[in-house]
Parts: sequence; structure tokens; C-alpha cells
Amino acid sequence: MSLLNDLFAKPLDPGYEDAAARRRAAGERPTSKRTWRSPALAIGLVALGLLLTMSVLQVRNTASVVSSERQGLIEQIHNEDERVSRLQGEVSSLESEIGRLESDLLQNSAAGQQTREEVESLQATTGAIAVTGPGVVVTVDNAAEQDAENGTDKVLDLDLRQVVNGLWSAGAEAVAINGQRITPLTAIRSAQNVIQINYRPMDAPYEVSAIGDPRSLARDFGDGSGGSWLRDIASSSGIYYDVDSEESLTLPAGNTPLSFAIPGEGS
Amino acid sequence: MIPLAGLLVGILAGLYFDVSVPLELQPYLPIAIVAALDAVFGGIRAVIEGIFNDKVFVVSFIANVLIAAFIVFLGDQLGVGSQLSTAVIVVLGIRIFTNVATIRRHIFHA
Repeated sequence: MSLLNDLFAKPLDPGYEDAAARRRAAGERPTSKRTWRSPALAIGLVALGLLLTMSVLQVRNTASVVSSERQGLIEQIHNEDERVSRLQGEVSSLESEIGRLESDLLQNSAAGQQTREEVESLQATTGAIAVTGPGVVVTVDNAAEQDAENGTDKVLDLDLRQVVNGLWSAGAEAVAINGQRITPLTAIRSAQNVIQINYRPMDAPYEVSAIGDPRSLARDFGDGSGGSWLRDIASSSGIYYDVDSEESLTLPAGNTPLSFAIPGEGS
Repeated sequence: MIPLAGLLVGILAGLYFDVSVPLELQPYLPIAIVAALDAVFGGIRAVIEGIFNDKVFVVSFIANVLIAAFIVFLGDQLGVGSQLSTAVIVVLGIRIFTNVATIRRHIFHA
């Protein structure tokens, strides 16, 4: 403890005492009365003031740079979001135009009619066009009381996958989650604790809409793997779910662009 | 009065010239300031007690700043930079407090 004791007992630099003692020993007065005018002290205070100002300005500048950087990033995100939604709107309007032109072309002949119907049924199956029909809506929501520690009371991507698989196996003909059509290219995955469907972040509650025979679809879903999965997670972690039959559901078109896969077997 | 004027001159010079610290020296600036504060308050106390000495003041000022910066630099190299900064600030902070308390006693006799 002697170090700390020294620190408290002799906070003044011992050099001052020593110098004063030396001067006394040499027979001089330890110091003159007008030491406030010492140039060394004045210069030291100038240096201190300079250091202080530099440091304060530095901290302020850094803070403003950081916040403006942040602001710029936020702006950039908003701009890009806007651009994405504008481009997506363009894509869907172009797709509907393509569909219209195709059906116009095919309407002219009997063979064309048949081809058109074929194309439409294929498009409905793959999710390339919107479909309407009776079906069920499965609503899944996070538990009301959140367990913040491990977060198991939230709906996981796995749960939604099980629901969608259950609906397919119960005879659903088209499925969408919160307005995102499930197509052959759809991924239901979670990134950073956010469920992404078609690479779009989704929020609870999740409404899984499926078109199919409204009675048998709901019954078979309840009896099948999807229903039992939901019952399990509802009882184990308090997740809420509900299955409703609907007279008429409209599922939007999904985005199914193919860049590398070319139709046909090739040569 | 002259030391106070010096402090003002320093602050105004800093504002006027807008000197920027090189990036590599930035971590050492706060520590250097605390060290300089310690030396300055030590000097003021010495003046009040009538044992002020130019040479001791100048040497303690420069040595304080350099040693404090060096300790932090060393700590950075060893991966304990923040802990050593804390240690330096605690030690110098105690000294500043005790010296300022003595100055206060001399001025107000309380």
C-alpha cells in the first residue's frame, strides 16, 4: 500500500521540494515572490489550452463524421429500397404485358387456344401468375409472452416450412405466405433472426394462404404433419396458430425468373 | 493572471488554427491532457507554497506527457491499452484532486 499512500501523502512532484532544498542549502531564497510571472508556467498553460482545444475539436469532428456517415447509409438504404420496389413494379407490369400479348397471339387459332390453356395451367402451377380459389388460411404468430433469453417462443423458418409442406401434402394447389407466393424457387429461411421469404423480410403474424378443397384441405392439414407440428410447438412454446377456411382467396404471382436453366433437353 | 492568460491564449490558438491531430496520435491525446493537467496543478501548488521552480515544472510537464503516452502505447502493443489508460488516469486523477484540494485550502483557508 506504500505506493498508494505516497500518492495521497505526496501528490506534489518531489522535485519541487528537492530544488527548494538545494537553493536553501546554497544560501539563496527558495524562490522569488513573483513566480506567477514565470514564463515556464505560462507556456505550460498555453500548451494545456492548446491540447484541450485540439482534443475537444477532434472528438466533436469525429462524432459529426460518424453521425453523418450513418445518415448517409440510412439514406442510401431508403433509396435502394425505393429503387427495388420500383423495379419490381416494372417487372410485374412487364410480365402482365407479356401474358396479355401471349394470349392475344394464341387466341387466333384452335391450336393456339389449347396452348394458351396449357401455358396458363403451367403458370398457375409454377406460381408465375396470380390464382384465385377457395382454400384455407393458416395464421401463425409468436407467443404473446416472449422468452427473451433463448427466443424459442418465436416462429422459426422451420415452423413455416413445416406448415407449407403440410399444406402441399394435404393437397394445396398454390401457397403464399403474407402475400409472397411459394414458387419452385422460393426459399423460406431466416437471416439474423428475421424470416425471409423470396428474400423479403417478413414479420409476424404469418398468414399462410393455400388454395385447395376447403374442407378436405383443412382436415388433411390438421391430421397431417403440418397440423401435428403446429400442435407441438403451440403446446411447448405457446406459439399461436389458427386454421380458417375461406370461400375465395387470391394468391399473387410470384417471381420465377430463370437465368441459366433453358427449357428443353438440349441437343 | 499571466498563467490564466496563457490558458486563454492556448484555447484561442487551438480554435483559431484548427490543428488536427494525426490519426496515430489520437489515442494518446486524452492521456497527455490528463498528464499535463497534473503537471500544471502541481506547478500552481508549488507557486502557492513558494517553492516553484521553472526547471522542475518544465521537466515534469514534458516527462509526464511523454511517459503517460508511452505507457498507453506500450499497453496498446500488449493488448491492455484500455486498462493501462485507466491506471494512468486513476493515478494522475488522485494527484490532481489532492493538489487542487491543497490549492483550495491555500486560497480559501478552508
